Amino acid sequence: MENITKHKIIEDLLPQKFGKKGKIWVGILLAFCTLGFIAYCRQLSKGLVVTSMRDYASWGIYISNFVFFVAISLVGSLITAVLRLTNVHWSTPLTRIAEIIAVAAITCASIIIIVDMGRPDRFYNLFIHGRLQSPIIWDVIVITTYFFISLLLLYFPLLPDFKIMLQFKEKTGKRLYKLYHFLGSFWKNSTEQIKISEKAINILSITIIPVAFAIHTVTSWLFATTYRPGWDSTNFGAYFISGAFLVGAGGVLVAMYIFRKSYKLEEYITESHFDRMGKIVVMLALLYLYFNVNEFLVPAFKMKKNEEEHLRGLFTGEFAPVFWFAITTAMFLPILILIFKRGRKPLPAFIAGSLVVIGSWFKRYLIVTPTLLHPFLPMQDVPDAYRHYFPSWEEWAIAMGSLAGALLIITLFARIFPIIPIQETITEIEEHENA
Amino acid sequence: MKTHNYITIALLLFSCISIASYAQDAKNDLLLSLSYFNNNNQTQYLTAHTKTKIDGKFQLVAGIPLSFYIGSESPANLLGKAVSNDKGEATILIPAAAKEEWNKTSKPSFIVVSAASKLYDGTKANTDIVKAKIKIDTAADKKIVATLMELKDTVWAPVKGVDVKIAVERFDGDLNVSETQTYTTDSTGMASADFKRDTLAGDSKGNLILVAKVEDNDIYGNLSSEKTVPWGVATNFISQYDRRTLFARRGHSPIWLEMLAYSIIVGVWGVLIYLILQIKKLKSLGV
Repeated sequence: MENITKHKIIEDLLPQKFGKKGKIWVGILLAFCTLGFIAYCRQLSKGLVVTSMRDYASWGIYISNFVFFVAISLVGSLITAVLRLTNVHWSTPLTRIAEIIAVAAITCASIIIIVDMGRPDRFYNLFIHGRLQSPIIWDVIVITTYFFISLLLLYFPLLPDFKIMLQFKEKTGKRLYKLYHFLGSFWKNSTEQIKISEKAINILSITIIPVAFAIHTVTSWLFATTYRPGWDSTNFGAYFISGAFLVGAGGVLVAMYIFRKSYKLEEYITESHFDRMGKIVVMLALLYLYFNVNEFLVPAFKMKKNEEEHLRGLFTGEFAPVFWFAITTAMFLPILILIFKRGRKPLPAFIAGSLVVIGSWFKRYLIVTPTLLHPFLPMQDVPDAYRHYFPSWEEWAIAMGSLAGALLIITLFARIFPIIPIQETITEIEEHENA
Repeated sequence: MKTHNYITIALLLFSCISIASYAQDAKNDLLLSLSYFNNNNQTQYLTAHTKTKIDGKFQLVAGIPLSFYIGSESPANLLGKAVSNDKGEATILIPAAAKEEWNKTSKPSFIVVSAASKLYDGTKANTDIVKAKIKIDTAADKKIVATLMELKDTVWAPVKGVDVKIAVERFDGDLNVSETQTYTTDSTGMASADFKRDTLAGDSKGNLILVAKVEDNDIYGNLSSEKTVPWGVATNFISQYDRRTLFARRGHSPIWLEMLAYSIIVGVWGVLIYLILQIKKLKSLGV
């Protein structure tokens, strides 16, 4: 990368118009979003009865999706903050990818939680009737805070890039030029501005770590503060955070591969990046595996009656196929692929990352729903539909629509802004050459 | 078809109909029992219990209409009617209208009758008792004395050798006043117990309700008597409603939680506001 000129870097990294594939991709995402919106309109008019959620399984794939979004959003703090503060420079091309994943995921997490409430006006009730003692309120507070921090962490490093993009009006187009002008025309790249911006990014990097830990710990407490088999654990915060870092890192692997392919960024997102991210994913998968062993082995050793029913449901019962699929795809297979150097090449790393993301989505479902179907008191005199849960088409459509929504945010962001920081890349190359 | 074939079919049909009608007629036995109660020598009532045995297990039977009589099963002696509830119990108070029949003898007998229904045959049960009363009193040093008397013709006479339970009424049942479960009456009809529950919580004035009981006695039925004594520890109910706890309502969270939560919120949002102001500063530097 050392021999790339400044001009070429700018040429390569400036936002590009959608090609044919890009337009088809956006069309597919919009179709999913529309279907989700239609399903949501049905839910609004007919009520939550259109879902398969009933008295026992009152949390279904909406909440699984919410936990998944919150989890994947943590990658922003991992790549941007943790690696930045530890002076890891190879992650520079990945910071913006991580941050936009975080912003998109946290936005959709907020939307899906309102969907789960049924009537959207109930969200307002949360503020006027909410109790400070409730983890739900803590979750609302930390999600809002995390969203703003992620937004700022996305904005500050973009400022030097606005200056560059404003110089290429003919390439970026009139509308985008206006947007860049509005967002960053004041950036002159002066020493004082750089100093303030760097200080702000450092402050944000420090602030986002405890907030990121809080956001997922609090989400885990939504479950762990309830006395139920499968949730009654003191380990839940750490268990959730380790899983969140894993799915986030997996998501970055996937995004790296797609952006690299789509925008021809092979010189910026190199094989070395896949190699290093692959190693991080292996480490995180092993860590998450360790917490899973903790979560299941300890109660399985004691086999208290209620825990036994829950665990048997997971290991050999109704949920066993999903459980073993999730464990295998989220942990075992990615470790097996990425532990070898050849597995950390772009394509296998992309496959491993995809497996992590898919497996992790199902893992969130397994955390939420099976516990609800194993209450302490026996389920008596209830319709058979109350004893099982399989999402209705409206739930699938809304959940998939929200996932498509998150991907659409990332896609549109990449269309409008440089997905790899231009100025930072130039500065790093210049520093490298001067060294 | 030959004649004997018709006969065979007719016989088969007849046997099927017989089996079917037998199956329809098969009824369970209703087990009926009757108990007499006298509370505080003021309220006398009868309770009938209805149950049946299905698959070797006793089950309570609800919805059985029952008629209660005194002396004999005649309309003139009808005390009242009741239907058994989910616990298989039906209770009636002995009405004032039965006073004449009640006063005729010191050894009244009571009868309960269930009418035949689709599921059960009609059945009856009876209980014969000797009129008796129990009294509870206290003496020095927290001594409790229960006295049992029976009516002999027109005179109340002490009863010897009957087990009496002396206890304190609690929310979930009776708590014995000492380690002894029951006390036996002597020739004067008295049974004495020492109160050993000095630290027992009473009401706001420290009042406890002592109770003396004769339970399921073959001769006297169920007798009980109560007396309120100030022997408990006064307890005042303190409402948790306004306390600041983790389980309290909105606006009543613990101070430590509020301090912690608000200081974190102010701290983090203070940083964010500072950074937003930095953007303003960057703008001014760029003008």
